[in-house]
This record gives sequence, structure tokens and C-alpha cells, in this order.
Amino acid sequence: MENMLSKKLNRRRFIGLSSCALAGVAVGSQVKVLRALAMTGEVANVTAVTEKEVFTSCGMCVNKCGVIARVRDGVIYKLDPNPHFLKSRGMLCARGNSGVQSVYDPDRLKYPMIRVGERGAGQWRRASWDEALDLVAARLNEVADKYTRAGVMFASSEGFQEHFFLTFAECFGSPNTVRHASLCLASNMQGFGATFGSNPTPDVLNADYVIMSGANRSEALITPDSIDMVTGNGGKRKLVYLDPRFTKSAAKADEWYPIAPGSDLAFILAMIHVIVKEGLYNRSFIENRTVGFEALVPHIEPYTPEWAETECEISAENIRRIAREFAAAAPRAVYYQGRRSSFFDNDTQMRRAMAILNVIVGNWDVKGGMVPTQTIALSTHDYIAPWYSRLDAGTATFLSEKDGSWKHFRDRVLEGAPYPVKGMMVYKQNPVMSVPNREKTLKMMAQMDFICTIDVTMSDTAWYSDVVLPEATYLERLDPAHALSGIVPVVTYREPAIEPLFESKPNLWIMQQLAKRLGDEVYESFDFTMEEYLEHQTTRNPAILESLKKTGVYYEWTEPKYGTTAGQRLKTPSGKLEIYSERYAERGLDPLPVYSRVEQVPKGKYRIIVGRHAFFTQGTTQNNPYLNDIMPENTLWLNTREADRLGLKNGSKVRVRSAVGEEVLRLEATEKIRPDCVYMAHGFGAMSQGLSKVYSRGGCDAALIEDGVEPISGNVSMHQTFVEIMPA
Amino acid sequence: MKNKRYAIVLDTEKCLDCKACTVACKAENGVPLGRENYRNWVEEDELRGTYPNLGQSSTPGQCMHCGNAPCKRVCPTGATGASPEGIITVNDKKCIGCKYCMTACPYNARYYSEKLEAVDKCTFCQHRLAQGRLPACVETCPTKVRLFGDINDPESEVSKILAKRRSRVQKAEMGTKPYLFYLI
Amino acid sequence: MTTLAALTRRPGQLAWFGFLGTGILIGMIAVASVFLRGHGHALNVTREIPWGILISTYVFFVVSSTGLCLVSSLGDVWGFDKFAIIGRRGHLLAILTLVTGFGVMAMELNHPIRMGIYAVISPNLSSPIWWMGALYGIYLILLIGEFTGLMLGFKKMAFTMGLLGFMAAISAHSNLGAVFGLLDARHYWYGSYLPIYFILSALVSGGALTALIVYFNHKARGKALNPTYTEFMLTMGKLQALFLGVLMFFVVWKIIPGLYGQPPEKYEATMALLTGPLAVNFWMFEVALGMVIPFVILINKKTRTPLGVTVAALLSTTGIFFMRYDLVIAGQIVSMRGEAGHAGLLQYFPSLAEMGIVFGAITLCLFLYTLAEKFLPMEGGHRH
Repeated sequence: MENMLSKKLNRRRFIGLSSCALAGVAVGSQVKVLRALAMTGEVANVTAVTEKEVFTSCGMCVNKCGVIARVRDGVIYKLDPNPHFLKSRGMLCARGNSGVQSVYDPDRLKYPMIRVGERGAGQWRRASWDEALDLVAARLNEVADKYTRAGVMFASSEGFQEHFFLTFAECFGSPNTVRHASLCLASNMQGFGATFGSNPTPDVLNADYVIMSGANRSEALITPDSIDMVTGNGGKRKLVYLDPRFTKSAAKADEWYPIAPGSDLAFILAMIHVIVKEGLYNRSFIENRTVGFEALVPHIEPYTPEWAETECEISAENIRRIAREFAAAAPRAVYYQGRRSSFFDNDTQMRRAMAILNVIVGNWDVKGGMVPTQTIALSTHDYIAPWYSRLDAGTATFLSEKDGSWKHFRDRVLEGAPYPVKGMMVYKQNPVMSVPNREKTLKMMAQMDFICTIDVTMSDTAWYSDVVLPEATYLERLDPAHALSGIVPVVTYREPAIEPLFESKPNLWIMQQLAKRLGDEVYESFDFTMEEYLEHQTTRNPAILESLKKTGVYYEWTEPKYGTTAGQRLKTPSGKLEIYSERYAERGLDPLPVYSRVEQVPKGKYRIIVGRHAFFTQGTTQNNPYLNDIMPENTLWLNTREADRLGLKNGSKVRVRSAVGEEVLRLEATEKIRPDCVYMAHGFGAMSQGLSKVYSRGGCDAALIEDGVEPISGNVSMHQTFVEIMPA
Repeated sequence: MKNKRYAIVLDTEKCLDCKACTVACKAENGVPLGRENYRNWVEEDELRGTYPNLGQSSTPGQCMHCGNAPCKRVCPTGATGASPEGIITVNDKKCIGCKYCMTACPYNARYYSEKLEAVDKCTFCQHRLAQGRLPACVETCPTKVRLFGDINDPESEVSKILAKRRSRVQKAEMGTKPYLFYLI
Repeated sequence: MTTLAALTRRPGQLAWFGFLGTGILIGMIAVASVFLRGHGHALNVTREIPWGILISTYVFFVVSSTGLCLVSSLGDVWGFDKFAIIGRRGHLLAILTLVTGFGVMAMELNHPIRMGIYAVISPNLSSPIWWMGALYGIYLILLIGEFTGLMLGFKKMAFTMGLLGFMAAISAHSNLGAVFGLLDARHYWYGSYLPIYFILSALVSGGALTALIVYFNHKARGKALNPTYTEFMLTMGKLQALFLGVLMFFVVWKIIPGLYGQPPEKYEATMALLTGPLAVNFWMFEVALGMVIPFVILINKKTRTPLGVTVAALLSTTGIFFMRYDLVIAGQIVSMRGEAGHAGLLQYFPSLAEMGIVFGAITLCLFLYTLAEKFLPMEGGHRH
């Protein structure tokens, strides 16, 4: 066993350097901090400006927009969009602009903390890094000794330094990394991947016709799509938008249909029906580039627009018209697949149908269509498959080895089978707030022997941990180069705008320190500085680092490339676009998407749906002072007529009850939602008093939503919970 | 050669109501935290229709830098003034905090800053202009709703678009002669 | 020492000073809280309703001052001999209410000292508030001059100062109306109505306060009203009925144009008064207590007794306090961005600190007046 470990580690020694001290990490002094806090937002003075401009990359959400941090007297006072960062069209959204507050917010984590009271009671004592790290290492070893190394789970989500956390998990010897994908886009990746061999990028900028369902691009901002949706094609493109809510995307759409939740598949199948029946598909494309069209023809026979109308509540006439318009606009027409797809237990098949619809109109790899997602290769080390099997192995047909499935994983931890998991390391993830059925998450955590969370704020998960380690924010770190894929891929990175405040440390440092404490074999994998790591990443192309330092970004080309896959094999088993999936058939799955109706709303109840606002990123930014000012509390949206029927007044407090929880929040009677649905913004109703602005304010959706799951990808299904509403 | 006269032209059709402009402005200009403290805003216009036939737009705004500014007229100490380029300014040292300008402004473009101990408002980011930068709200906007420029220069982007497209100003009937132009 | 001894001998007086002392203490605590917590936290005014109860109370005080000046000038300046007996008291209270009013406004202003500096070195002559400061400044000087003349028996001086003061009062006060009336952004205020209305309503204030000081002076001293004072009270009552009648006329003609044709913003503000958030203030305090009940008391011969006039005066003064409040708030209650925002009225309710300052100011004013009554020869000065 030990031998195996060292062998694997040796393979991972990608920078063979002698161990050198970590001199680069400085500690912000207290005085500086106080001055920084006092001076934040100092009004700019026209004269005598001694500013430093630092290239970095926004860390407020997944888009990682290019940023120029403006620093004056050691204080970051403004983040400007980096005009070189084409992907974001030179913008920085509200969250990006609020990033300064992630540094100077009094609520940020400042020192390592060790729990002294009961878990969740909020009694902490400040500890030195040495004490905290010694404790974490000792407890991890304890769990490993008592159970196995797989007895420690590693929960994390995306970020430039997540890689080191995952590496640490690997070196520690646990296969149990649980990432955010199964709360987000796992089914999307699966559905599109099964068809295209990868998840393509819709060329929104050049598309003439876009259909969006399950993607609220005006609020759930994705670059460049959110921008191109509005400004692309001179604003002339047509947008058909399906959503149970009248979102800001609906407001921007040419047509909005409050589709019956979960019935998108019926709508898409009916569109395919029309296109196939009326011969509007791209024949030569289908012949040359696809497999399985002949199976599709009989398959869609029953899915007439008239049938779909009864399912999705969009008239047959409109479905026909939209299908014809879509086909006519093709190939510059996309059925936009969105990102988060954790809606229903039919989601993978629904995304499959979306993909098939795109395929049959032949929009693959052309201007305004579905374009292969490109990326710029950076050097990294080989991935080593873990030697234990994952705790949640076999729970979903195509489970991601790296991401796992939160729902299944948690269930198995609670069962204690096939083996116990008693240690929990968390980095930059907040499962208490984000995994449906909060009660279960808390139970899972209650059975842990040890929990350590690394974060920048006292999230609900940190609040229930034993040790909390303060990470430096993205503006205080030198980070690895990071490739962002898309039609025009880009590499970005982060220079530290200031030194870390308080005693916060970059994650790499934290991992290195823990690794040291676990032994030399583990530390070997971390024996490098960030500068060395950056250099290593760009060894094959030093121009990357040069460009990053000069402009904050690196591009290989700045105009979209189309047709790059002509004559190439795709990453599907057949090497072609797969309308019919042999692989699915082999695994006993429907090789072509078959419609099944999702559970309907019982009388007297409402379906709770979740969504996004442009100023919040999942559950992470609601406590940001700038953003909290925009929306200090979430509300329960209920259709005005339903509110009248229940005698509930706008603004009054209501109790929302599901099978797994109950929350109290204010009612917002609105026309903007289907009468059978209710909606609440994510990220409020926190249990952590360390989040002073959202603690106990509004309601927490994770407390209400039941943990349904999509069986193919293991993605959760968040729109299958029904709630009762009563006055509070 | 005429003086510069700065103006902003807004294409509200593009506005996502994402509040980027508001936060950018707050950070750039050190606007104190608090919901009431802001120099620019995005108003969600009234919802049109009833479910399921709905429509809604949003209107960003800020000080209109009026040519005939009521705020400037009523300020007892001359704290409110205008730059040669037409930017309506507040000299915070002269402001006595009577808030008369706030009652006089038909656009609710001013707020009282506890930090400055004076009334505060949009300056078109004068200090950024001096550095050759665009106002923060103009620069940061995802869909570039705002266009900033010198309206006295016939070749400027703002002049050209105002020539080409119809526009309106807010509360034209007040005679304030605003320099924020909303494209129709 | 003597005062203390006197106080203990008279429990009523002790209670009165106790009440005033408490009020002033509350006011001081409120003022302290403004300085400690900052205006933004201590006051409930917002960016949309920047003027709250402190401004309306300021208006209430300076209107009172003007009214007192106008009414008490009837004797010294205009030769209505009956009114000469309230010359000193009236002018003294006019000074005190004006000064207290300035004090209240200073609490709303964040930099009263800067005002003193920049109003002089960089005046903006197009600002009604600048003129307000200038005219009230002149008015205050003239008031003091007239009062000095009255106290020292310099009749000529009193007359000259009084005449000028009268004109200053009219100018300053109509200009105060213009502070609101020249704001074309605020449709409810805008126009020439307010400058005129302010003068008229000042007479109601002045008349009522004059009656009150006469009556309570006698009561407090345990004296009965002599025939001269009784006669004065009855005349004052009649005059006050007339003032109230005209005021009602004014109120009616303020409302009708606010409703007729539903003029934008003006209509919403008027409706806020009639049926909206200010309706209780309007109907109960302004209309019933402030005008109708006093009017009924005063036109009825049976109730137009010195006591009746006093009761009517007390009710009118209370009503007028609310009138000022409603005027100030109604002018701002409609959102300036209504066209882009959601229809609906803004909300304002005074904070504890604001109410504390108002209460403190009222009691401080009464306290100063009481002291003056105790230590200055307020009787006399009138021609016999």
C-alpha cells in the first residue's frame, strides 16, 4: 500500500525541484488591515493619484472575467473590466464590481478557528496556523487509521486553486471528492456529451434564432452569452424563451411561454416531430455527420404538436411555427442548452433531445450554430485514478469519477455503506446551503468525526465545522493560469492585488502545510512555489505567461473558428454525432429520448422552483454588502391570483412547508410566475451567524427541496418538490 | 472651438437590470453602503399586462446634468455648480446639508452622504475623465447601455447616434434640459 | 435662591418647570443621539423625503413668529390700541419662536456653521433659502429692536422698528412660502399659492398664540383677567374667527385644484391628505381640531368667552402644527421617479430622535418665555 502510494506520487512529480521555503507568502499586518478597512471606497482624487494596476481574474462566479484591480496605498478601491478580455465583452457585472467587498467585508474569515462548543453553536476560539494545521493533520490521520483513507471525503467546487485541494485528496488517498457538478450541470454534460462527444458552445453572437429553456441568461450571467443574447446580431436575432417565471430574460425575449415545468422534453420532441415530418432537417448533414436518424423517424411519430400541447401548455400552432422558424433560420439557429440542468429526473434525456434537435438542423460547427468548445492546453500532471472505488460508485449510470453525486454520496454516508466516511474536508463549497434537503446534510455532518472547512466567509458549512481555515480571497493571491473554454478560448490568471489580509492564506499554502504534516511522500507533490507552478503550466508555450503578464489574458485566436471538426472523429463511440446512442442502449437506457411526465402538482400545493439573480452567485454573494444592498432578503413569489385566493397579502410573512422542511419568509404576490409554482431566491435564510446580513433573513431553499435525483448522471432534481403555503 | 458638453445616451432596450452600473459607481466613487446611497440606479419599470401576457423594461438613470439645473438654482451657498463641460458638481466643503437641492431635483438623483457630510451625486466620474477613462457605469455595463461623449462634437458617437435615432429626455416638461438621452 | 423658594411654595410652578425640564432633557438626549449616531441613523428622513418633521416644526415656529409679530404690531404699529397690551409679550415670543425655529432647522442642517460662512462669501441670490436666511436675519434684528424699544419705552424706535419689522415679516414669510412654492419639481407646492397662504396662516398662528399667552399668564399668576384683557380676548376671538374663516377658504381652494382634472403628482399628494396616509392628520387635526371646532367656538357668542377663545387657540395651534407637517410631507410623498417606478406613495414617520428634538424645542421655547415672564417686566409698554 505504502509502496503504491509512493510510486503514484513519484509519477506526479512534475516539477522535480528541491524543496524551497515558501517565502512568497507574506502576512498582512493588523495596522494595515485597519487602515484598509477605514479607507475602502475613498473618493478618487483627481490629483496625486499613485495607483497600481494589477491584472487578475474575477473570482465572484464561474465566468472568471478579466479584471484590472486598481490599488491605491495598498487598498483595492476599484475593479475595472480588462478590455483585453474579449470573452466578457469588456464588462464587469455587479458581482465583479462588488469583489472589493470580499476583501474588506468585516464578515470575512480572518484567523484559523477551532470550535469549542457544540457543533453549530458558534463558539470558536482563534488559533494559530500551526495549532490548527496540526489538529487537522492529526484528525485526518485518525480517521484514516480508524477507517480507511477513503473515510475522508473532500468536498470542493471550482476555483483556480481547487486543483491543489483535489491533488491533496488524491495524495491523501481518498477517491471521495464530491464536487458541485451534481447540483448543477451533470445531466447537461451527459446529455450533450452523449450526442456531440463533448458539450458544444452555442454561437449566440451570430445566431439568428435562439430558443432558451432552463437558462435565464439575463440573470444567470454567462459570458459572453448573456451579452450576445442582447447585443449580438445587432439585437435582431429572435429569442424564444420558456420559463415558468417571467424573468428578466423573458422581458428581453421576443416570445415567452410559461411552460409547464418538466415538459420541455415534450416541446422539443414535438419540434423534432415537425422538422422531421415536414422534411425541414438538413439531409446531407445528417447523412454525412450523424448516426441513428433512421431510428428517430419512427421514434418521434407519437410526439405530435397536438400531443405536446397537452403536456407543455404551448399551443400546437405555436410549436409548429417555432419549429418551422427554427429550421428556416438553421444553421444559424440554436436550441440553447443552458448550464444548470438540475431540474427534473428526466433531465439527461431532455438535454439529449435538445442536442438531437440541434443536430438534425445541421447547426454543428458553423457560424451561429453549435460550435465545438475549444480550449488552450496548459501543462499539468497526469491524472491518477484512485485505488479505492468511490463511495457512491454505481449509483448513477454515468457517474463522474471526479465529481460524484452529492445526493447519493450523502445517502451512502448516512447508511455507512459500503464503508464509513467519517472525515470531511471542505474547500470553497457550501453543501449545507446548496445540497437539497438540508436536514440530511446536517445529519451527515453530525455523524462525522471531523470536519474542516477552508473558505473566505463563515458559510453555513463552516459554521458546522470543527476547524475553519481562512483562505486568502482571489484578489490577494497569485493563482495558476486558468484556461477558459469557449468558441474563443482564453487563458487568464491572477496577480495578487494586495497581500493577504489578516492571517488568511492561499489554498496552496494551506495544502502544502497539511501535506508536510502528513509526511514527506505527500509533501513531495506540493514542493513548489506558485511561480514555479505557473512556469511549469506554460512550459510548452512561454508566450502564454508573457501575454498574461502584459495584458492579463492569452489568446491563440480572437475570431471564432468554424468547421474545425470537418473530417475529424468526434469523441463519441461512432465518431459522429449520435442521434441514436448505442452506448445508452447497451446500458439499458433509452437510446432515443422517451417522454415521461414528471410528477404533477397535487391539489392545494405548489411546485417550488429555484433560479438566479444577476447580482448573486449561487449561495456565495448574498452577504456581500454591495450586493445585499440590492436585495437584502428573499421572498416567496406566488401568482397574484393564488395569493388572493389564499387570502395572503403581498409582503406578509408566510410559512412554506415541504415534506422535508419548513421556512418562513415574506410573500411577493406577482404576475410573474405560473399559478402552480412558487419561487424563492437561493442563498438566504442562513444558519451561520458569521454571515451577518443573511443570517436568519428570508428562507433557505435547500431546507425545503427534496433530494430527488436524475438516474443517468446522478444530478439532483430540484424542481420536484411540492410545498404548502400558509400564513406565518 | 466650442466647449465640450458631456452627455450620455442610453439604449434601455439593452438593459438587463443587472445593477453592475450601480455597484461599479459605488466602488469607484466611495459611495457609502446602504440602500439609499447611490449615484445611479436601474428602475424596474411597471410590469405591463397580466399573466401570461407580460412585458417589462428597465430604465437606468443618474444625474441628468441638466442644462437648466434646478438643484444649482436653489443651492443657497453655491455648493452646487457646473463645470465648463456641463457636469453638475457639488463642492462638499460648501454644502450646508439643507437638502434643498434634493427636493428641487425632479429625478431623485441626489443623496446625502454621511461620509462626505454633504449632498453627493453623479459627476460623470470627472476624475476618471481626467485620466482618459470612461465613467465607471459606462465602462462596466455588460451590454453597453450607456454611450458617453461630447455632444458639442458633431463627430462624436453620442452626436451621431442622436442624429440617427429618436430619443427622449426624462421629464422634458420640467424644462430642466437634461443631458441624459434615452433612445426610443 | 428666591426662585427656588418661590418654586417650592407653588407646586403648580414646580410641576411646570419639571415638565419643561424633562422636555428639554429629552430634547438634549435627542440632539446628542443625532451627533453620536449621525443624521442618517438618527433621523428618518430619506433621499426621497429629505425634509421631515424638523423642517415642518421649523416652519411652525417661524410662522408663529411671523404671526405674533403681525398681530402684536396691530397695537404698536397700526394703532389698534386694544392690541397694545400684548406688544411686549407678543414680540418677545416672536423672537423666541424664531430663534427656536432656527435651532430646530440647525438640527436638520448638517453644517449650520458652513451656512454662516458660505452664505456670505459665496451667496447664490437665486436661492430662496439664501433669501430666507437674509430676510429672517433682518427680521430678527428688527424684532429685537422693536422689542427693545417697547421695553425701554422708546416709542419712536419701537414704531420705526415695528413698521420695518412688519414689512420684513411679510417678506421673510412669504419668501418661506416661496422656498416651497418655487420648486417646480414638487407639483403640490409649486406656485404662488404658498407665499400668500403662509401670511394668512401666520395670522391664525399669531392670533392663537397671543390669546394663549394672555390667558395662561393670568392663570399662572392666579390672577383674574381685568376688563381690558377680557375685552382683548373677546376681540381676539372675533378676529381669530375671521382668520379661521379665511384659512378654511384657503384650504378648500388648495384642495379643489388638487383634485380637479387629477393633475399628476398634485392629485396623488392631495389624495394622500384626503384618504391616504396623512388623512388622520388632515381630517382630525387640521380640519376638526385646527379649524372647524375653534371656528364653531368662536362664532358662537355663548362660547366666545376668554376660556372659549383659549380653548379654540389651543386647538388651532395644535392643528397648525399638523398643518405644517402635512404640508411638508405631502409635497414630497409622491416619488420623483414615479414614471419609471411603482406608483404608490413614499413613507415617512418621524424617528424618536426627531420627535425628541421637536418636543425639546417646544419646551425650550416655553421655558425661555417663562423665564422672561418671571424676570422681565412684561406688563406695561402699552399706551394708556
